[in-house]
Amino acid sequence: MGSETVAVIGGGPGGLRAAHGIVDVGSKVVLIEKREFLGGTPIAENYAGLTPHGEAAEPQMQRMAELVTSNPNADVRLGTEVVSCEGEPGAYLLTLTGADGTETIEVGAIVLATGFKHFDPGRETQMYGYYEFPDVIALPDLEAMLKEHSVVRPSNGEAPKSLCFIQCVGSRDRQIGNEYCSKVCCGVASKEAIEVRELLPDCKVYIFYIDMRMYGYWESEIYWPAQEKHHVQYVKGMVTEVLPKGDKLIIRGEDTTMGRPMEIPMDMVVLSVGMEPSVGTREMARVLGVKQNRYGFIDAVAGPLDPVSTDREGIYACGAALGPADLEDTVSSASNAALRAVAFVRSRAAAATA
Amino acid sequence: MPISGRKVPPSAIEKESATVASSISGREVDLPAMWNRMFEPRVLSEHTPDGFARLQEMPGTESLEWCYGCGKCVPVCPVDVVGEYGPRKVHRKVQTGIDLLSDPDLWLCTTCGNCLRVCPKEVDMIQIMPAAREKAMTDGAAVPSELQDVFEKTFRYGNALGENPRKRAMWTRDAGVPVKVLPKDPTPVDVLFYVEDYWSYHPRGQQAARAFARVATALGVDFGILGHEEKTLGDSQRLAGEKGLFDSLIEDVTATLAKYEFTRIVTPDPHGFNALVKEYPKRGHTFDVLHYTQLLAPMVDRITWQKELPYQVTFHDPCYLGRHNGEYDAPRTLINAIPGIELREMARCRANGYCCGGGGGGMWLDGFTRDYTTERLSERRVREAVETGADMLVVCCPYEVSRFEDAAKSTGNGHLKIRDIIELVDEAMGNDPAGS
Repeated sequence: MGSETVAVIGGGPGGLRAAHGIVDVGSKVVLIEKREFLGGTPIAENYAGLTPHGEAAEPQMQRMAELVTSNPNADVRLGTEVVSCEGEPGAYLLTLTGADGTETIEVGAIVLATGFKHFDPGRETQMYGYYEFPDVIALPDLEAMLKEHSVVRPSNGEAPKSLCFIQCVGSRDRQIGNEYCSKVCCGVASKEAIEVRELLPDCKVYIFYIDMRMYGYWESEIYWPAQEKHHVQYVKGMVTEVLPKGDKLIIRGEDTTMGRPMEIPMDMVVLSVGMEPSVGTREMARVLGVKQNRYGFIDAVAGPLDPVSTDREGIYACGAALGPADLEDTVSSASNAALRAVAFVRSRAAAATA
Repeated sequence: MPISGRKVPPSAIEKESATVASSISGREVDLPAMWNRMFEPRVLSEHTPDGFARLQEMPGTESLEWCYGCGKCVPVCPVDVVGEYGPRKVHRKVQTGIDLLSDPDLWLCTTCGNCLRVCPKEVDMIQIMPAAREKAMTDGAAVPSELQDVFEKTFRYGNALGENPRKRAMWTRDAGVPVKVLPKDPTPVDVLFYVEDYWSYHPRGQQAARAFARVATALGVDFGILGHEEKTLGDSQRLAGEKGLFDSLIEDVTATLAKYEFTRIVTPDPHGFNALVKEYPKRGHTFDVLHYTQLLAPMVDRITWQKELPYQVTFHDPCYLGRHNGEYDAPRTLINAIPGIELREMARCRANGYCCGGGGGGMWLDGFTRDYTTERLSERRVREAVETGADMLVVCCPYEVSRFEDAAKSTGNGHLKIRDIIELVDEAMGNDPAGS
């Protein structure tokens, strides 16, 4: 016995890519999404443009979703959660609950694409005042403003004349427990900085950083244009506190390149928050019984040459469920996981008929 | 000696000393300077990168903003070794709102090009500094008086030394060989020898010029000079910010050159060489140009040596011959061809050669620079030369003989002799340096 159907849990960029990959090679997929819509975090968090090139997020995600929803081999379940997992590799029994009640389905393999959530700036140990000052916001807040083409100071509705990003908020921090680099925030902040400069040419934009991690082509595609073409000012040295002064914010830090204290008035401060395992990632790890790493992401146990296998046979993970990942990482590992899952169910079926 | 120099502490922050009264005993306690930072009020600065936009009104300055702060430029900057100036710091200062056009940093760069050599983002101080200096001048900012003086002399007399143009060919009198002066004898020549200012007028330069005349004559080089019609090519004036002066010199120089027939130009001055090779073609004037070492290096096998010179020498690469124009071998070919000479390279040589401080107007800014450096670049370079154990520092740029002779004296290294390569070639060929 067994099933040749693959379950994909999560309908964001990774889940959509995995589901599309599965139906593309002629297998069946059940795509299970907790939310009432597909598209994942880019849609739920109102992303304006995708990093690195800034294409509008909504039509891009819609196109990805249609590739799945238009395929007869795809069974898409919105507003649905997985509450238990029984059975064995090749014949997992997933119990789903949704608006239509509870149902148990049999699948041969599972792809986990449950993604990440943005770090909550209320947990940072500096004094950035995210919940204290209206003009201190985070990357996704600015993203939502950019989507509306209206970047204004929440305190008074006016366009900011100066705006800065503070990098590594919630990442690379032993006290917080997130020792990892979130990988995308340097690029996302730089992309948003470009968009702010394009929208508000009179607004001075600064990025305060420990070290800019613009790996691969992001260096030449985002970082250098941001600096050379859009005049974003990169300053090496972290801001360690944000204080109110009149109707402005004072950011205080060290100008490490000149060895001097640094105090600058700002209209708006954007915290470059990193990635943490989403609630779904933590919950599905528990339900499916797959191993998590010390940070709560799914543990890719097989090492760098097999980055999608979990410790349970027939269960694969992709994208930011495995740890900080950009979109390119996510769809790449999703294709990888889809291929592995299809190969797994087909080899089982072939063995059963032999 | 450590490879890098003593640093001046940042002057803006620290006081000599301070006295603080104890709130318990009432006694006054003296504190050493470094503690005083704590008592300085912290100035809230309205950071503004507007300086980049202002600078960028001048073409050529755009790349200053490209700096991403890696700091590679600072250790190879010759001025940083003896002071606090560094290319990265210029970027950061402008970013924090300091006006480069009224800052001393504007005049400290010697345009030696070592920062550009290592810069991953090609922040080009060789373009930035001249353009920024030009803008400072058009904006009416104060130009260091000694530099202003040289600009005026160059404008008035056609040479940086303010010498009488009619005496430009005086050096030929004691050369011991006849030197063709084209205005008197305008027949075609193979080589137009562009003597430039310091070989024309400076006593030590004149000695080198005479040596060149003797060597070139012995090798059968058909050459002539422009005599009183020669004007400086003015490349250092250009790099010091006087582009207008340079442009008017180009008009004069090309008009003079058009009068005579020659196949190539040979000059002893790497700065003039740089102008002819890089700037003249941009304005539509292309010549076949050689530094004098490039003329002579291919001929060394034809030289009849008369004397062994038992010298241990070290060689200083001129920035504008080496780093700027890629010629490192011709001078060394000549030096190594001289019988008896042992060449010992300094740690900083060839592409990483240390600047003598004379380029980009630095030749005429020693008085200004003194306030911002612990020692002259030429003094630092002389110390490096002495470290090799050489008894002679050999050069092939007209600026350097006088700079290094002064530096050898001021650093207590009077035993170190400074000679141009051509003087050694001349001596080994058995000519009498006195020219009699």
